[in-house]
Amino acid sequence: MWWQWPHWLPLVVLVPLGAGVVTPAISRKSTKAAWVWAATAVAATVGASLPLVIRVAQEGPFSYTFGGWTPPYGIEFRFDEVSAFAFVVAFLGALAIVFSLRYAPHALDEARIPYYYALLLLNLAGLIGFSVTGDMFNLYVFMEIISLSGYALVAISGERIAEMAAFKYLVLGAVSSLFVLFGIGMLYGVTGTLNIADATQRLSVVADTVPVAVAVGSIVLGFMVKAALFPLHVWLPDAHAIAPSPVSAVLSGLVVKVGLVGMLRLYQVVYASRAVDLVTLNRLLTWLGAASIVMGAFFAMFQDDIKMMLAYSTISNVGYIVMGFGLASRYALVGAAVHIFNHALIKSALFLSAGAIIYQTGYRRLSDLRGVGRGMPLTGAALAVGAVSIVGIPPTAGFLCKWYIALGAFEAKNAAFGFALVFGALFIFVYYIRMLNAFYFQEPVRAEVTHVGDPPLSMLVPMWVLAALCLAMGLAGKVPLTFIEPVVTRMLAPTGG
Amino acid sequence: METADVRVLLAPAISFACSGLVFLTGRSVFWRRFWSLGAAALKFVVVLSMLPAALTGKTFVWNLIEFTPGIGITFRADALGMFFALVSSALWLITTVYAIGYMEPEHAKVRFFGFFALCVSTTVGVAFAENLLTLFVFYETLTICTYPLVIHEETPEALRAGRKYLAYTLVGGACILLGSALTYQIAGTLTLSRPGVLPAAADPRSLAVLFVTLVAGFGVKAAVMPLHGWLPSAMVAPTPVSALLHAVAVVKVGAFGVLRVVYNVFGIELLKRLGYTVPLAYLAAFTIIAGSVAAMFQDNLKRRLAYSTVSQLSYIVLGAALLTPAAASAAVAHIANQAFAKITMFFAAGAIQRTTGKTQVHELGGVGHQMPWTMAAFTVASLSFVGVPLFAGFITKWYLSVGAFEAGMWWFALVMVASSLLNAAYWLPIVYLAFFKGPEGQEVQRREAKPVLLVPTIACAAWVVVLGTTSDVPGMPFALARAAVEFVFKM
Repeated sequence: MWWQWPHWLPLVVLVPLGAGVVTPAISRKSTKAAWVWAATAVAATVGASLPLVIRVAQEGPFSYTFGGWTPPYGIEFRFDEVSAFAFVVAFLGALAIVFSLRYAPHALDEARIPYYYALLLLNLAGLIGFSVTGDMFNLYVFMEIISLSGYALVAISGERIAEMAAFKYLVLGAVSSLFVLFGIGMLYGVTGTLNIADATQRLSVVADTVPVAVAVGSIVLGFMVKAALFPLHVWLPDAHAIAPSPVSAVLSGLVVKVGLVGMLRLYQVVYASRAVDLVTLNRLLTWLGAASIVMGAFFAMFQDDIKMMLAYSTISNVGYIVMGFGLASRYALVGAAVHIFNHALIKSALFLSAGAIIYQTGYRRLSDLRGVGRGMPLTGAALAVGAVSIVGIPPTAGFLCKWYIALGAFEAKNAAFGFALVFGALFIFVYYIRMLNAFYFQEPVRAEVTHVGDPPLSMLVPMWVLAALCLAMGLAGKVPLTFIEPVVTRMLAPTGG
Repeated sequence: METADVRVLLAPAISFACSGLVFLTGRSVFWRRFWSLGAAALKFVVVLSMLPAALTGKTFVWNLIEFTPGIGITFRADALGMFFALVSSALWLITTVYAIGYMEPEHAKVRFFGFFALCVSTTVGVAFAENLLTLFVFYETLTICTYPLVIHEETPEALRAGRKYLAYTLVGGACILLGSALTYQIAGTLTLSRPGVLPAAADPRSLAVLFVTLVAGFGVKAAVMPLHGWLPSAMVAPTPVSALLHAVAVVKVGAFGVLRVVYNVFGIELLKRLGYTVPLAYLAAFTIIAGSVAAMFQDNLKRRLAYSTVSQLSYIVLGAALLTPAAASAAVAHIANQAFAKITMFFAAGAIQRTTGKTQVHELGGVGHQMPWTMAAFTVASLSFVGVPLFAGFITKWYLSVGAFEAGMWWFALVMVASSLLNAAYWLPIVYLAFFKGPEGQEVQRREAKPVLLVPTIACAAWVVVLGTTSDVPGMPFALARAAVEFVFKM
């Protein structure tokens, strides 16, 4: 079958990576060319990642070895159900680039636009590489590609406040990367291999588990900074709120997930090898997850800037996922893993519609935007769908995770966290309702926002594709849940491996 | 006997499609009215067409989509669900006519009629939910869809009431979500198609937690004290909304949920053994009395109606909690009895407000001379609440009292008597004021409400009498209530 062609797997990383590198050279003359080039490249990436998802659904995980050097000596790409994140990355990246057609010229100097697309493509390449690599060092390398392009994307508008946010992001990002690198180094020292599958096998017979525990702790710490788990979240709100909106969508929807996909990878190794006992760590993560849900919502309540609200809402959602990891029961893990995907869709829908509102009105504060729902009916509706979804009203995508993690909490005999999750989630309602009230039901402060009109199609289409997916992925919740389930089954299998 | 039949899906789908069409084409007055009335009529016909089969014990099922592995969004029209669906679709039709007349001078009518249709869609979804998750899906959607209606006026007061409404109902929803998860953990299924799913051997502590979370969750919308605070505030909404949603759809969804929990999740036998319903019965009895007492002190007519609703809803909860067949019939039948009587009163209150501008009870002197038909309908509803025989409310009171004796708890029959007296004490003065006291120093002119407001009011009042006189006629709603009770008690 066409989808079994082995070289789709390297292509899906190499296409955006290569295209990203040459973007500035290609578009020296016209910024339009940069967009066409980036859009073509990202479309090709979506095309290349689709067969991979079909194949993993049909056949289960598969590998690709570069140059015929078999692991553990050669470099391995390994595609399992978690790697389907690569498809989400390519898809959301494509929508963000389409959205940027009109947004980027509005938000950035013309000279920076080619670099903008180049960085965006590199960022996507890093994300895809991160989710498909089977090698710990490559994992680190891709993570750095993501981080570095991320810092630059936050700063790209060149405004002073953007540079400040990017700097804060950079400092914490660099420290967290070091923690991850340190952990990977320790694991290499203990096992003598960098291949993840190989390391898993060797770890299961390691006698001295103290260094392994230190390595796991260090990697988890690093990843949790990347994932912006409370109280390690301080870098996130400014960076995500100040970046151009399509970038915010990518950062909040995808880049934050690096820490979480990374956690899943690490847990796959540790659970399978039974090298260290994770009970204490899991208990800590469950508590921090709960704290993250509540604190994210708490901070968001005091914001007036809509993108700031959305940024804090990411912290709450990361809390859901980490709590799911910490509960470590079957339902909780499935729910957490699926929410990695669903949150990407929902949050992108929200950031893109917020971006469209800012683009059309020039305002970004809730107090200025009163009544904008009447002026931009289609955009407002997309945002409302996203908001309903992220607060977890059934049958939208956001509900699945709440339902599954609640089931998981009871399954883990830890009912208290089920209560914490569901009631904590109510706080999230508070500020989204404030947002919808302002958009629809309050007296406008700025009269002009009530008749600005909807944005051009290049913005409307991406946000409505995402809003429709928020509904579809919820209604057909069976699809993602059954897709991701084998991963969890393998993780929790009594024999390991 | 179960048959796959698409009509159970159509019933909620029609009003869902209607709301979409209203949002798309509703700027035109004609199309807005056309879709609203057409969908309401069509839906009523569809639900009604299922009635003969339901009376012979057939149930229709339709599996829409598998929501999560093993749990579908599935619709199933059993006798209890049919009863509720029939009440809400009949009242939607009547209320739509009324709303078209009432809302004429209001703003944002597209939004109003769009969300109005969505609410009814979700209400029927709750009625036909085959499992607890489907029920929850529609329960929460209903909460969200009613919000724009509650705050329709967009005044700070309306927004405050809306916030209060959401705070109460969303916390209730969270409880139901947890209860559903716990049910799934204990029973391994969420279906509502059996008379009880929980195994008797389950850990009693979990069962107690489960009972409290589920009943408290549904109790919020059923306005069981002390969870009733949102209901009187929500009266800021336009009258048709108060009428349909706060006397019928929203609050009855809560009461219906309590019935489902008692009959289909726990089951009669298990609850009899556990005895959890006894405190619930006391709470309901307290609410019946306290709600009535509070109603006496309200001068605003709609607020008085609201407290009366609080009191009346607990009849249903009490009927469920007594766990006897007669009480259960009362509980199911009261879904209709209360709905028609209460909606008559709301319609009358709205008609008075639109015609004369009066909203307070003390202003109503002589209004019966001005609007004799409207006030006649109001009187019929009052008598029904007092429990005068031949009116719908009597049926409930009678069977509930019988049920109390059956259960060996005769003192609940005294609660019925007390409630009758209290109802008389706060409804009959209004009737007296309206008919026997003229406004002093003014000449009373006959100024009846517009026909579009008056006809629905009278139709509902007439139906109150029909319900009160035909409880033994086969094929009437009460027969359906009996069928539901027979299923629950495995008779």
